[in-house]
Amino acid sequence: MTQTSPPKPLRGFEDIRRTWHYAYKKYGARIMPGEYYVTRNDELIATTLGSCVSACIRDPDTKIGGMNHFMLPFKGQGDAAMDASASSRYGNFAMEHMINDILKNGGRRENLEVKVFGGGNVLPSMTAVGTKNVNFVRDYLVTEGFEISAEDLGGPYPRKVVYFPESGRVLMQRVAMSRRDEEEITRREIEYRNSLESKPVGGEIDLF
Amino acid sequence: MNILIVDDSAAMRIIVQRALREAGFEGHNITEAEDGAVALESVMEEEPDLILCDWNMPNMNGPELLQALNNEGCEAVFGFVTTEATPAMRDKANQLGADFLISKPFTAQDFADALAEFT
Repeated sequence: MTQTSPPKPLRGFEDIRRTWHYAYKKYGARIMPGEYYVTRNDELIATTLGSCVSACIRDPDTKIGGMNHFMLPFKGQGDAAMDASASSRYGNFAMEHMINDILKNGGRRENLEVKVFGGGNVLPSMTAVGTKNVNFVRDYLVTEGFEISAEDLGGPYPRKVVYFPESGRVLMQRVAMSRRDEEEITRREIEYRNSLESKPVGGEIDLF
Repeated sequence: MNILIVDDSAAMRIIVQRALREAGFEGHNITEAEDGAVALESVMEEEPDLILCDWNMPNMNGPELLQALNNEGCEAVFGFVTTEATPAMRDKANQLGADFLISKPFTAQDFADALAEFT
């Protein structure tokens, strides 16, 4: 069975590219650092993680779920420009954006099933970054009162994650990377990290 | 000053409190509510001077709370703190008589700027 075009995405996710996955006979979205995808369709969401973390969250009753892929913005050692509170604020927004979209589309907060992956200390130059991301996501989930129903966090490995929000199933592989793959993941994460650092964590104000 | 923070995310309520502190709002009496319905009860008891409120929440959302407060004749300063801020949302906030709207991600400075007029 193949489909000629991917199922209709939820509003706001039209720009996420989806392709047909023969192995799973489903359409799937591949998300990059800084992105997230939420769906009510029977499709998959895939990503590759180095030091970044992904939360896979769904409501098993309404079958709506999503996956994000983010890291906290930390400057180099000794640089106070991005302090810990600004940095965790960014992580909160990354989580809240996705959870809000799940709730807005019919999910219920008390039903949410949460699985988390990634945060590998993959690269000597980004040693502590994975651990900081893991600590953040654990703290966040405790504060919000969510239990983790499955996890694979930390360690020295990059990971490939495929999530099926319809069933809640996750296929995860700790990957032995070729040098080229590793360079590619590193390049993307560093690019993403640099973009976070050049963007101030600030919003807009309207006074009426 | 009595301040009421209304948000269904516990993490976000902590962050809003921290941003208020960083913006120089210390030593105030802060109450939290996890949705509009709880907030409405709390308003009757605590009579807040300032309400900082999320938009999307279960039970009673932000705009519904503001409408209910208007009906009760509540005179507290009311500001939305929201993840999304579409032009339609800004219009609605304005129509309902909100005093300001801060969109996330916000900084402590955003709070200082928004609240300067009211304190």
